Amino acid sequence: MLKVTFTIYEESFLIRKGLAFAIGKIPNTQVIEQNDNSEEIYEILKNDDSDFIIINPKIMTNNNLKEIVEQKLINTQLIAFLADSKELNELKWAETISIYDDQNIIIKKINKLVGHKETQKSKSNSPEEISKRETEILKNIALGFSNKEIADKLFLSTHTVVTHRKNITRKLGIKTVPGLTIYAILNKIIDINEAK
Amino acid sequence: MLISRNIKMADVIHMNYFTLSVLNRFGIELGFGDKPVEEVCKKHNVDIDFFLEILNTFVDKDYFPKKHLQSFSVKLITDYLQTTHDYYHKVKVPEVESLIENMVDSCYTQKENIILLKKFFDEYKQELLNHTHREEEVVFPYSLAIEEAYQSETPDKSVIELMNNYSIDIFQNEHDDIEEKLFDLKNIIIKYLPQPKDTGLCNRLLFVLFNLEQDIIDHSRIEEKVLVPKIREMEEILVKNFAKK
Repeated sequence: MLKVTFTIYEESFLIRKGLAFAIGKIPNTQVIEQNDNSEEIYEILKNDDSDFIIINPKIMTNNNLKEIVEQKLINTQLIAFLADSKELNELKWAETISIYDDQNIIIKKINKLVGHKETQKSKSNSPEEISKRETEILKNIALGFSNKEIADKLFLSTHTVVTHRKNITRKLGIKTVPGLTIYAILNKIIDINEAK
Repeated sequence: MLISRNIKMADVIHMNYFTLSVLNRFGIELGFGDKPVEEVCKKHNVDIDFFLEILNTFVDKDYFPKKHLQSFSVKLITDYLQTTHDYYHKVKVPEVESLIENMVDSCYTQKENIILLKKFFDEYKQELLNHTHREEEVVFPYSLAIEEAYQSETPDKSVIELMNNYSIDIFQNEHDDIEEKLFDLKNIIIKYLPQPKDTGLCNRLLFVLFNLEQDIIDHSRIEEKVLVPKIREMEEILVKNFAKK
């Protein structure tokens, strides 16, 4: 099952750990903690591809930051963490967590979001099973072809091949070419004598 | 939990038995009764600040080494890292190899699959060897040279050239995930390998692989959190000092 990912942007160590602890109680979640005080926050936020971002709306008064976040809203949902005020800005917030919420309430809120996300994810692609196309590509990887060669052979762009590869790795839990080769042999996608 | 000098050494092991391998690398033997960490270190001629730094970085992935503790020499760090490398090559890798060998011998139904695992691990072994070799040949000597120049009152200009050709940041960038293949091997056994008859053997192999993987991750963390910042700081000061002249 694909994990639902959260990134917490928060300066306070206690709050970060507290939120991470609460979310960690929900199965199939993964939490990344970021100190929002760090200088690299723009870069980190730009490259953040988690499902949910937990952030204090207060720090979004910074317009640059707000712009970056707005661009992310296609794939990422925002959860507001409210420490001392109830003020939200005009961004689209999926949920709010207050510093005074107790554990059950936080878990309930997060659980609801996780549930939605899981259904969404399982619809967009069945989690563990690799598709016919992916099997075809896996076969070529195992035979020792490069991304470019596979792309030419199957009339795809290299970019598409790379995307397929990422999906294969994620679904199988195998990252390296030799690892994928063993998988291909064990599952009779290629013959042991064909492997290099 | 933060390990401090006054804690009983025995409690450190109770808290996290993985520390046993660290103690081993420092040459500390068991049987220390209720003696605190500090006393045990003294007895074995181990630098207490360095020992605590390594142990804490090892047990707590969120631990950030404190500057004032970084008084120990680079030589201590590279010596420790070297011992870890030896531990992988002389203890851990042979352990995995012999388990896989046993599996090949005791399996009749899918010998060819186990032989695949064996080949895979052989490749990994070579990769690990290249990795540690590069550190020993390039990174450690470089680090020691930087320290020497840093401590010298009149550092030789050649160190500037050395830094132009290499820097600790290069090491950090090229420091690849050496544990990736282990991760794959574990997953292949857990998820995809038709289970051999002798499941006990298979479980033991997995246990050793998990153990080795964790140790390598902790080892990399020590390089990145203890060695790299220390050398980077020295590099910066050296560059500044030369600029002044």
